[in-house]
Amino acid sequence: MTPDLIPAVDAAGLPGPVWLFQFLLVLTFFLHLLFVNLTLGGTLMAAISHTLARGRADDPRGVLAGRLIGINGYGISLTITTGVAPLLFIQLLYHQFFYTATILIGWMWLSLLLFLTVGYYAVYLYKFKGAPARGRGGGVWLWTAAILFMVIGAIQVAVNLIHMQPGSWEALAGNPWAILNDPTFVPRYLHFLLAGVALSAMVVTWWAVRQARQGIDPDLNGTIAHFAWKWVLWASVLQIADGLWLTMALPKDVLLGLMRGGGATMGPFTVGVFFGIGILVMVARCSDPVTRPALVTATLGTTLATMAIMVVTRDQVRSIYMGSSVDLSQFVIRAQWGNFWLFAILLVLGLATVYYMIRRVLNEPAEGADAA
Amino acid sequence: MDYPIWDFAMGGGMLMALVAVPHVIVAHFAVGGGLLIAVTETLGVRRNDPELRELAKRSSLVLILVSTVYGAISGVGIWVVAGLISPGAISSLIHNYVWGWAIEWVFFILEIVAALVYYGTWDKISKKAHMLVGWLYFVGAYGSLVVINGIITYQLTPGKWLESHAFWDGFFNPTYWPATLLRTGVALMMAAAFMLFPASKSREAGTRLVRYIGGWLVAGSLISYVGYRWWEAQLGETTRALFLGESPTLASLAATRSFTLWALAAALVLGIVFLLIVPRSIKAIVPGILVMVAAFAFFGGWERLREGSRKPFLIHSHLFSNGLLVEDIERINSAGLQAYTGWASTGGLDDPIEVGRRVFKIQCAACHTLGGYRSITEALPTFQEMLAVTANDPPGSGAAAFEAGCASCHRDSNFEEMVEFMPGADEMKEDPEMVTDLLVGMITGTLEQLRDMGQAYVDADRSVQFDTQTTAYPMMPPFVGNDEDLEALATFLGTLTHDGASTVLTGGGE
Repeated sequence: MTPDLIPAVDAAGLPGPVWLFQFLLVLTFFLHLLFVNLTLGGTLMAAISHTLARGRADDPRGVLAGRLIGINGYGISLTITTGVAPLLFIQLLYHQFFYTATILIGWMWLSLLLFLTVGYYAVYLYKFKGAPARGRGGGVWLWTAAILFMVIGAIQVAVNLIHMQPGSWEALAGNPWAILNDPTFVPRYLHFLLAGVALSAMVVTWWAVRQARQGIDPDLNGTIAHFAWKWVLWASVLQIADGLWLTMALPKDVLLGLMRGGGATMGPFTVGVFFGIGILVMVARCSDPVTRPALVTATLGTTLATMAIMVVTRDQVRSIYMGSSVDLSQFVIRAQWGNFWLFAILLVLGLATVYYMIRRVLNEPAEGADAA
Repeated sequence: MDYPIWDFAMGGGMLMALVAVPHVIVAHFAVGGGLLIAVTETLGVRRNDPELRELAKRSSLVLILVSTVYGAISGVGIWVVAGLISPGAISSLIHNYVWGWAIEWVFFILEIVAALVYYGTWDKISKKAHMLVGWLYFVGAYGSLVVINGIITYQLTPGKWLESHAFWDGFFNPTYWPATLLRTGVALMMAAAFMLFPASKSREAGTRLVRYIGGWLVAGSLISYVGYRWWEAQLGETTRALFLGESPTLASLAATRSFTLWALAAALVLGIVFLLIVPRSIKAIVPGILVMVAAFAFFGGWERLREGSRKPFLIHSHLFSNGLLVEDIERINSAGLQAYTGWASTGGLDDPIEVGRRVFKIQCAACHTLGGYRSITEALPTFQEMLAVTANDPPGSGAAAFEAGCASCHRDSNFEEMVEFMPGADEMKEDPEMVTDLLVGMITGTLEQLRDMGQAYVDADRSVQFDTQTTAYPMMPPFVGNDEDLEALATFLGTLTHDGASTVLTGGGE
């Protein structure tokens, strides 16, 4: 441990209590993760589906790839938009750790921008069926996007691991790639990747079941639902195995810290594990999702709940990892409650406006001259 | 200043410019485009003008591809780069203005969702609902601008914040309203420049639409001009003196100001000629590109002027561009840099050159590279330069060499004093080691001057903006550290001044 490498707490202090920013960090990270999962898992699933369909648009798997990218055209924007807030709050609470971690792998961290830009435009190239995306060639753009998004995920996991472990900084300053040797790197990365695949497959299943039940292309949607449901099943099986691997790979002190935290830490962790097993049981018991729409909806709900719980556990694990290296009580609190309320009111108004806008859009289809 | 330093040969400032310049252009297009597209669609519907509506539709594709994708990513990119090159500075901004950014995020959500919905629902929903989405997009985009503008202008003119440290004192600082007006004009110019091309593609109504866009460009140029003059008037007198008056402190900044205003004049004239008087000329592409380049040049010039006027600060009179807080100067001078940050001593303290290299990274690398952009090696005196001064052959060339290479650093000396102080040319040729010692001695003297300069900041009234022109090096942060730090840095810089420099330069991967 080399605590003297940890920069000083920002003298400007915090414009509100620590708990408020911790809450906002966890909440906004959860929102961000929803879209991250759809972007990461959805693009990978689309690339594989497109390849299995050999690029044919009349193959249900080809249709599935198109649907996933249809979602992702919007999903990637929302991934970036929702990512701004947790990026802001982590810089606020853990600035000494976060910036140091990003600097230690500076080139990798910077390359994230390039990967994101190329990946995003690659998705649009596929979506718009431009010349490179026509027919089988579109797979190139899908795989480009999928691989780049997976690399971005690995960079994020690296930053997360480095920022939690100041004891490793001096060694990493000489060899940043050494972070790949962290025993938790691979299982942690797979944990996110599998969660992304599972959620994307779950959303696709839910939508296909809903369409099939409404009589819209029942054969096509039934086939897609079956296909995606299998992805949910296998992603859940692998997730449980990987979760066990990750737990066992955690440093002993961290694992003990999680257990010694009592109900506060073991409660969410245990519930999260049980929910994960519950998802597997629900999926395994149903071979035809189209006939069990309620079960599909319940499984989707449980998946979202599990994600929310695991985000809390992730935050707690961060605190345990950091241990005495971090002391958030060192911040001078200069609360700006007026500004907080202004933010809260604007957030409510903003979300209400978005809701109103989408409602208007859904309820006012073009008719007559408007449809021109 | 207590963070590790990221090695980047090109220089952090250059990298930031590469990310930030395209971002601000796109971001202003996103704002102005929001207004233009919403107005254009509304006019198209009210006047039953399908060409206007088609123009709005075509432009919205550009808006979504450029602003929601590239604009959003490069916006995050500014944070990424700032965190890499100036972590202390971005941290300070975030800790003071986190609620400002959080509020901006709310507007950003509205902006992005509305943009996606707007593009995806053309001819799929009622025109009324579609126009509403367009106007909501503009509200989100413009709200985002007026919030961010408060934080950006606070950096240059913190105003009463320096005394109160109160959020709104900094936000509504002296240049807030002028910059808001100026950026509004710029946003219209950027939007007009981008929309010119979709407008010119219309076969039936190209001329009319180009003239319509030209009206917006001219209006944006005039608003920008008024905003610029107001902004300039609101700057402190000492800041204006950097680039105004008969003998501005910074000739390069004065040239930037001149370039900025000429570019604005060019955009206005080209806009009037090519877009309003001879709109058909736009079909030839080149006139449109000229208008666009002039508009971008004006905006880029002003951003450069704004950034340059703030130097050596990142937050004027509070935080220097290398992350040094004014309030930390005394502490670091007395305790030393190594007590302030562990990153100054990682890898061992035995080698003074290595320690000096770390001091350089921590204090100087925010602005200087070793051999690239703003090269410190080029700024240091060389053996040949010293020889030219002392040899003075032919007569008069020594004085010229002194003026060119030494005068800016040795303000207390003149040519004659320098010659008297330095050994003769023959003596220098015979004993290079002595020259190195001499160079290190000169560097040490300059660093001591830079350290003494810090006292002026310490003694100054911190409730008002500091007049940097009263210091020996108005564009530089003071050197901070104890005698050991200073000696180590001088020793390291000394190695860059002779032939052995190449081994040092390649030794650490820089």
